Amino acid sequence: MLNISNVSKHYEKTKALDDVSFHISKGSCFGLVGPNGAGKSTLMKILASIIHDYTGDVFIDNKILTPEQKEKIGYVPQDICLEEGLSAIGNLSLFGKLYGLTGKKLKLRAIEVLKQINLEKRANDKVSTFSGGMKRRLNIGCSLMHNPDILIMDEATVGIDPQSRNYIFQMINRIKNDGRTIIYASHYIEEVELLCDEVVFIDSGVVVEKGAVNDLLKQYATPSIFIKGTPINLDKMKQYGDVVSKKGGYILSTNEPLQVMENMIAYCREHVIELEQLELVQPRLEDIFFSLTGSELRE
Amino acid sequence: MRAIMITELKKNLQDKGLLFWMVILPILFTVLFIAIFTGNTDETTRKQVIVSIIPGYVVMFVFFIIISMVSTFNKDRDKGMTARFASTPLRPYFYMLGKWLPYMFIVFIQIFVLLLFGKIVYNVPLEQPMVLLILSIFLTFTVTAIGLATAVMVKTENMGLAITQIIALGGAMLSGLWIPHDMMPDFMQTISYFLPQFWAHQAFQDAMAGNINYSDLFQTLLILFCIGVAGFVLAIFRYPVFLKRSVT
Ligand SMILES: Nc1ncnc2c1ncn2[C@@H]1O[C@H](COP(=O)(O)OP(=O)(O)O)[C@@H](O)[C@H]1O
Ligand SMILES: [Mg+2]
Repeated sequence: MLNISNVSKHYEKTKALDDVSFHISKGSCFGLVGPNGAGKSTLMKILASIIHDYTGDVFIDNKILTPEQKEKIGYVPQDICLEEGLSAIGNLSLFGKLYGLTGKKLKLRAIEVLKQINLEKRANDKVSTFSGGMKRRLNIGCSLMHNPDILIMDEATVGIDPQSRNYIFQMINRIKNDGRTIIYASHYIEEVELLCDEVVFIDSGVVVEKGAVNDLLKQYATPSIFIKGTPINLDKMKQYGDVVSKKGGYILSTNEPLQVMENMIAYCREHVIELEQLELVQPRLEDIFFSLTGSELRE
Repeated sequence: MRAIMITELKKNLQDKGLLFWMVILPILFTVLFIAIFTGNTDETTRKQVIVSIIPGYVVMFVFFIIISMVSTFNKDRDKGMTARFASTPLRPYFYMLGKWLPYMFIVFIQIFVLLLFGKIVYNVPLEQPMVLLILSIFLTFTVTAIGLATAVMVKTENMGLAITQIIALGGAMLSGLWIPHDMMPDFMQTISYFLPQFWAHQAFQDAMAGNINYSDLFQTLLILFCIGVAGFVLAIFRYPVFLKRSVT
């Protein structure tokens, strides 16, 4: 569906993207993960035909990306771009018209989208009276008006309340179920893990890893257990695997987590050690990203 | 493009600042200066002063539209609106035209309202309404073209504000909108021949009095048109740079 092939982009001094290549298949929810300044927005703007001076190629359905393909793409910018003086309906209509919708069709579509973004009650209120979360939702709504095959979302949940975030997640799931392709750029890796089936990790403009979320988790994450209690003997734990301290306890990586847990329980009972916490740790994308790049996603 | 036009017009109609700059302030100025200059003069001088001041302030205040034009283009650019529109099928030059046309309309209405005010309150003559109409359209084109060029060229709104002051106030001073043209020093008179304000002011006065001759009118229209076209060409030429800056 979407092929990105050896794409590089320089700003005056910075190299924002360095030979980026990957493939996005139709109907997938694709996560683009990286810390601030990684080059996510730059790549999104290239896909949205906003930036033209890059090297490399972008193909949609095996055709080179051209202005004629704009109709296939809905772009949700990182910053909220709305006409503050217009109502929710007014903004939706504006964008609908830019994609050639008119008359009754436009009206019906605007009402449909309003329902999707859960702003029916505020349809005729000016955007300047909206909360941050409502603006974010409308920001997404505007790019849905023309029913794009591919929806590009750049940091769609930055700075919003949990309720709006939930609405947005529900929306994304619905769009996913419609068989549309979603590209979701974010530095919130938990969101990507929750929503996306495939990911690309990007750091300083370079792709560090890509693949299906489940495959990556299988490939990289060694099972581990978390132990917290005093006084635990560090050397004893090191018999079973690598140990790192975290959140006042220890993470112990091992290929036989259940066996190790049993052993630890026996050990604690024998030495009368008070265990505060002992649990299996699910592998997380965040840890994989950290181990690959050495950078934390959050500052 | 129509959608952009309508949005722009709506935004401006909601904008009370625009009403103030474009209509209320010029009316206040007109009333004030007519009161000052006609305080103790005889009836004929009074009439002369009024017939000069009213078109004078029309020609001066139409240029304040540049402020609004600079503001709307710069806000769109800095908010990312221009970039977002670039992701839609809207063609970039249509975006520019769509944002420009409403200002043609606004300035035209402004001239109409200010002349109407002169007619109702001071009973100024409007002897050649058709000529005034054509003049108004040409002046509107010139002003908004200069506005468009300024809007796509400046980096900040404050810079635009400064340039507007220079164009509007400097032009007014040098073109004899404040003091009678023949009382100005020679060098200023010479400069004035290069300014659209001078030509527009003269032509408006003559057309109001009903004694414009057609070769003068034609000359004035040609000058206004050429300055407008120059502004437009400059705007088109500089527009890609504006677009480039909008992608941040
Ligand atoms: N318009 C621009 N001019 C110069 N440098 C830029 C511009 N936009 C982004 N950059 C730089 O390019 C890099 C990538 O930025 P961006 O794509 O916004 O990253 P992200 O969205 O992942 O935070 C950063 O180092 C940023 O400073
Ligand atoms: Mg970004």
